[in-house]
Amino acid sequence: MFRRKRKTSDFSAEIEAHIQHESERLLEQGLSEEEARAAACRSFGNVMQAEERFYESGRWLRWDHLLQDLRFGLRMLARNPGFTVTVVLTLALSIGANTAIFSIVNALLLKDLPYMQPQRMGTIYARITGSQSFDERRTIDGEQWELLRDNVPSLISAVSAMRTSGVNLRAGSHVQYLHAGRISAHYFDVLTLHPNVGRNFSEDEDRPHGPKTAILSYALWRTAFDGNPNVLGQSMLLKGEPYTIIGVLPVSGTTPLNADVYIALQASRDGEGKGTNFAAITRLREGVTWQQANAEINRAWGQRAQRFATSNPGAQVTYYSVPLKKGETDTLQPQVLALMLAAGCILLIACANLAGLTLVRMLRRTAEIATRLAVGASSWQIQRQLWIENLLLALLGATAGVGVGFLALRGLLLLLPEHFLPVTNVPLDGRVLAFTLFLSLFTSVLFGMLPALITRKVNLRSSIASRAVIGAGSVRLRQGLIAGEVALTAVLLAAAGLLIRTLIHLETMPPGFNPNGVITAKASLDDVRYQDSASFRKLLNESLATMREIPGVQNVAVGLSLPYERALIDGGIVLSSGQEAGQQIAADEVYVTPTYFDTLQIPVLAGRTFTDADGPDAQQVVVVNQTFARKFLQGANPAGRYLNKDMLIVGVVADTVLSSASRLNAGSAPLTKEETIYLPAAQVVDGKFLSILHTWFQPSWIVRTAGPVEGLTAQMQRALASADPNLPFSGFYNMKDLMAATLATPRIEVALLVAMASLALLLSAVGIFALVANMVAQRTREIGIRMALGSTIQKAMIHIGRSGVGAAALGLVLGLILSAGALRAMRSVLYGVDVYDVPTILVVVLTLSVVTLLATTVPALRVARIDPAKTLREE
Amino acid sequence: MSTQEARERLELLQGTLDLLILRTLIFGSQHGQGIARAIQQTSDEELLVEHGALYPALQRLEERGWISAKWGTSSNNRKARFYSLTAAGRKQLVKETAKWKRVAAAIGRILDPAKED
Repeated sequence: MFRRKRKTSDFSAEIEAHIQHESERLLEQGLSEEEARAAACRSFGNVMQAEERFYESGRWLRWDHLLQDLRFGLRMLARNPGFTVTVVLTLALSIGANTAIFSIVNALLLKDLPYMQPQRMGTIYARITGSQSFDERRTIDGEQWELLRDNVPSLISAVSAMRTSGVNLRAGSHVQYLHAGRISAHYFDVLTLHPNVGRNFSEDEDRPHGPKTAILSYALWRTAFDGNPNVLGQSMLLKGEPYTIIGVLPVSGTTPLNADVYIALQASRDGEGKGTNFAAITRLREGVTWQQANAEINRAWGQRAQRFATSNPGAQVTYYSVPLKKGETDTLQPQVLALMLAAGCILLIACANLAGLTLVRMLRRTAEIATRLAVGASSWQIQRQLWIENLLLALLGATAGVGVGFLALRGLLLLLPEHFLPVTNVPLDGRVLAFTLFLSLFTSVLFGMLPALITRKVNLRSSIASRAVIGAGSVRLRQGLIAGEVALTAVLLAAAGLLIRTLIHLETMPPGFNPNGVITAKASLDDVRYQDSASFRKLLNESLATMREIPGVQNVAVGLSLPYERALIDGGIVLSSGQEAGQQIAADEVYVTPTYFDTLQIPVLAGRTFTDADGPDAQQVVVVNQTFARKFLQGANPAGRYLNKDMLIVGVVADTVLSSASRLNAGSAPLTKEETIYLPAAQVVDGKFLSILHTWFQPSWIVRTAGPVEGLTAQMQRALASADPNLPFSGFYNMKDLMAATLATPRIEVALLVAMASLALLLSAVGIFALVANMVAQRTREIGIRMALGSTIQKAMIHIGRSGVGAAALGLVLGLILSAGALRAMRSVLYGVDVYDVPTILVVVLTLSVVTLLATTVPALRVARIDPAKTLREE
Repeated sequence: MSTQEARERLELLQGTLDLLILRTLIFGSQHGQGIARAIQQTSDEELLVEHGALYPALQRLEERGWISAKWGTSSNNRKARFYSLTAAGRKQLVKETAKWKRVAAAIGRILDPAKED
């Protein structure tokens, strides 16, 4: 398609043949040879013009021009390597940042879930209206689940446990700690997943006390069963009980739970079904609408809604379906969009820089442009040439940007904790590449617009006559651009600063215990053998006794949960004394061995902690923390009071920080202090209660040592094995690991925002540098004259540098004003620091001032190299 | 742009050259100069074919696929590029002729309305 069908020479030959034919005819009519030829030529008209018309008639002419412009553009870019490299690097960094962030937006918010007909998949939200109105994804209890399953025919419904639980697998000699996903019968039907081999759970298997069966994930099947195709019907020990394997998921079979093995939930209204511990997913059946389904849900749950209205006067609750995709990513959405916004700021800053650079380049080329206009180029041809150069730059930048984006994305994903994103992979797919292409075109328009507008005003006569003159107008314009980008940089810096302050606040929160020198390990007691409280006590006593013998170990203990972790919430605690006797309250609940407080060094504020005497047959005792005492017991020494009628409060301990993921007090910081009661592990005697506890929580063995102990973890594992050889630890953590896991999200936010703010700062510095450097170059003559007239180098430098400093100062002021408004949106993610934080503002001002001074001074130093005599002679 | 012709010839109307070229080629293949002569002769020297405009027109028709061309030898043993009508060109000719006749008749009615009665 790129070649002409007919060559021009062929066309010329044809014309020559025509003229010969015509002159021969005229010859026959009696003209002389010369006369004939002349007449033939005359009658043909202008041969050249005909040839030109032939040439231009070609459809490829435009293409020809384009190629010509492209070649010329490339030559121009190659001749200015400094300019080209600066532009391409700027674009690569800014487009790269945007590409990386957008791939996450794409994976999280735009791409469909990897299931069939994802638009028919949903989950259920509750809309609360009244004094406080909000919408929230709700977990449901056993009653709601049964009503949903049996009375909402428009939906295929399924539930799973809110999160996976740690269980022990024993198959032959293989012992492993696994994450089990507990799901209802039609869970895989909602996801349109069918096992590779075998089948899904039947409704029979999902009934309470139904047959115990399991479906393996593909990965577990490969690692623990060597991909054995005859695994169906085999038995394995899970939670100490035999489970029959009935299926293996396909390799692509991912679920929102992301578990190693799936077992039937066997939900009922009893036990854990009493609380809202289940997450529902639904699939709309063919031929019905979501409206119908929502009406059915509200009818099925009508009684509950009424109960809610009775216990919360003035409030109403209605339920509605929300696409599963939205339900899964709702909580991450604001953070991801905020990052996208920051990335957009980077792009704008880059564009402002590039507009300034291309503007200068264009002004330098005024003479060239004027010459081209003078020899007959149309204004359209000049414009086309300029736009093609911009486009070339943008495309070069985009190509480099995709590379940078790819690397940035890999780095970012390495930074994220495992299963942080509810998607399995974040690809650079067609949509991301299309976005990048669009972005590069958009930037080329944005940074090309100003210079292109300016060149339209090139005045032929004055431009050719004078040497290129930079008008005061264009410097003003560039200063305006710099001010704009400094303003955006200031906002990004302030946002990053506030997040850093928040992170520092969280990381330095007094933990309420001594985290140094503590190693912890979890084991799953979700095991039929430990539903018997006597064997549970025996396990704790024997393992702790052996562990205490390890040389270097000072203290050992077991607790159901640790500081920095989420804790079990007990919503059924009844206050039994004081003015509020009979009131039912919710608090975190942790069972501990007597040494727990000593081992973690949690200060005891009043009364006593537990001793070995607080056994199963002794008086039931509890220890409460300070928050609990203040909130429910009016701060008076609560020792001697009762909870749940017969549980005697014996002491008060200091608060420890907890992960707010347990959601006792919604909307609180990632680390928080919550009302907590501690029970002696030895007094948890109800087998059913133990079973529920251990389904949801895996207790930790805690070891405190004076200093580092060689091979401590192996010795701890051996100590546990001496009490139960089939009990593996899930892993070993120190308190820093636990804190890091809890603070993963704010840390990533800080890292990303700091990276982007630094990029913005770098770009702004480059912009200021370029402005001042250019001013020095343009005004060499003027400076030379000034110095010849007695100005000092310092004065000349200040004179030149003023342009950069002035623009940056204006930008800083604008940025601070902008921050005051924009950063208020961050209030919900800030802890321990206010939006108007003086130290942060000071640091932003200081940073920008230092960077501005540096970026101004370095190019201004070139003034010193100006030789007045030389510049004057050049005139 | 022929000069100082004895009698004034008619300039071709816009778009009619294509039609005339196609019409000329209905009798067989012909080279450019031959086409120009043929149009002039069959119109009793009334129509002027500007030679400079002829070749771009031929080029255009060739690109549209209405005529095809190949180099050959003319009657007086000279090399020349011969054009012939393609099947598509034939169809186009029928269409254009019908259209032209309608236009001519319509213009005739406007210029000489008395004839209508």
